[in-house]
Amino acid sequence: MSLRIYAIAYLIFLYAPIVLLPIFAFNDATIIAFPLAGFTTKWFDALMTGNALHAAVKNSLMIAATTAVLATLLGICAARAGAMYKFPMKAGIMGFIMLPLVLPEIIVAVSLLVVVVQILNLGLSNWTIIAAHVLICTPFSIAILNGAFQNLDPSMEEAAMDLGESRFSAFRLVTLPLVMPGIISSMLIAFTISLDEFIIAFFLSGASPTMPVYIWGLLRFPASLPVVMALGTILVALSIVLLTIAEVLRRRGLARAGVQDKGGFL
Amino acid sequence: MTSLITLKGVNKYYGDYHALRDIDLTINEGEFFSLLGPSGCGKTTLLRTIAGFESVSDGVVMIGGKDMAGVSANLRPTNMVFQSYAIFPHLSVAENVAFGLRKRSDLDKAAKQALVDDALDMVGLGGFGARAAHALSGGQRQRVALARALILKPKVLLLDEPLSALDKKMREQMQVELIRLQRHVGITFILVTHDQEEALVMSDRIAVMFEGRIGQLDDPETLYRRPNSRKVAEFIGKMNFLKADVKAVGDVIDLDVAGLGKVRVAAEQAPEPMNTGPAVAGIRPETLAVLFDGETTVRKLVDGVVDEVVYYGDMTYYDVRIAGVAQPLNIAMKNLIGRPVLEVGEKTRVVWDERSLVVLR
Repeated sequence: MSLRIYAIAYLIFLYAPIVLLPIFAFNDATIIAFPLAGFTTKWFDALMTGNALHAAVKNSLMIAATTAVLATLLGICAARAGAMYKFPMKAGIMGFIMLPLVLPEIIVAVSLLVVVVQILNLGLSNWTIIAAHVLICTPFSIAILNGAFQNLDPSMEEAAMDLGESRFSAFRLVTLPLVMPGIISSMLIAFTISLDEFIIAFFLSGASPTMPVYIWGLLRFPASLPVVMALGTILVALSIVLLTIAEVLRRRGLARAGVQDKGGFL
Repeated sequence: MTSLITLKGVNKYYGDYHALRDIDLTINEGEFFSLLGPSGCGKTTLLRTIAGFESVSDGVVMIGGKDMAGVSANLRPTNMVFQSYAIFPHLSVAENVAFGLRKRSDLDKAAKQALVDDALDMVGLGGFGARAAHALSGGQRQRVALARALILKPKVLLLDEPLSALDKKMREQMQVELIRLQRHVGITFILVTHDQEEALVMSDRIAVMFEGRIGQLDDPETLYRRPNSRKVAEFIGKMNFLKADVKAVGDVIDLDVAGLGKVRVAAEQAPEPMNTGPAVAGIRPETLAVLFDGETTVRKLVDGVVDEVVYYGDMTYYDVRIAGVAQPLNIAMKNLIGRPVLEVGEKTRVVWDERSLVVLR
């Protein structure tokens, strides 16, 4: 019984702030406080009209999509190598490329800023953000794809070649369909991480801010707080949908390969 | 018999490791050929060399008279059944079996379907085509792997420990089915196995391999009755080894055998070349017998004491100690009607015959 109370308290602690988001997003008052004033959708209407916001969203989507593709490509290479080949220092190397997973983002952000501006002498742009996001998303991609590749029987590609296919078409016809759910799952998660990421984007963005950076800018104006709540609601909903799809695909991939689910990444 | 596969002076190195050493081998058309040996002896490497998954460091592999150097696995007239079966889990049974027909543009859809149905019927999986491959049992996967490989009508079917993942009963059933299948299709089968019984049951000829070399190549009966080395004798079945001293070699061989005394055997009971001097005499447990009370024999007898009794139901294995030999003789007796089971410590007499001896160095 006490365990149940603990569990409920824990869930409230965890999710209460998120539940507050939609409540105040639909509240007809500029001040974020109880009691609620009434139902409105005007904050969402305000979202639709802000040009600067639209530019920031477009920016973020472009960065997130590019990051998702690049991080997943790197993840495929690393996971395939880790699953199929033996090479010296394998454990050390695999551990090292997973390191960004535990590095504080503020450290990554500051170091990258120094590297880009001071050492490489480059201007800040969307590409600097993409490079940094690939760095922090790749370990997630590897973690997801590792599962997909480790479940593959290495004889499978050989069997396809034995039956007359070239090395590339063996990969395309056998390996690719089997790891495809992992690839999509990895892209979705990298996309979500990049879309939500603030600290690195804040340090490395050039003239055009990303959406989280733009939201942070809005916070200086108390009048626009409910608009931020509305935007936050949309983002949370989108994240939940994407992560759910990613998990469903991961499970489907395991079922298709006929292996037991050993607990997923999520 | 025409030869189909010829290996000449084949060597394979992995870095410093010498996996195959000077393999010379000819495998005939329509033959059921086995590569038998302990793990790490190179038998799977040899199979993969024939399949085209491994290149040879040195030497020639010919299939059907053509040198296979530079010919990759997908272009060789061989197909393989993998140890893990490597069934494609995202495809149905029929799609798995039809996989090799993808490149056959001369066949229309109906013709391919007919071939798939025939192949599935042949392995006893008629009507299973629509099933998901990952929902099959071990034995069924095995059959799908066979149908998938045989549908291409290869010159050679390579089987890499195909039965090792099955339980004992299923394995024995599949052994019989594989033999029947091989006779039916008439394709050369090359089987890799570490199970000596499996090799004996299934093969026309067996190559026993140790440390990258072929130790002996013979038909199952010769291999069992006339092993050419102590290693082969130990690997295949059980054998008692007695110290011996070869006195004279000619049309017959005269030798002193510890515990048995002076023995004369035919020349073919020893591998060529046999010299005088120290040797071992080998004798199989089932060619010895204990003499029960009331039984008589015209064969030779030696006195002994029962040291150990292992009862198997249909058989009883005795360890019998005889004078002058440190290691007790292992004797296999069928539990026929009326035969008692001796007890440890009982005195008995062991029946033996010099015709079942082999002389080894």
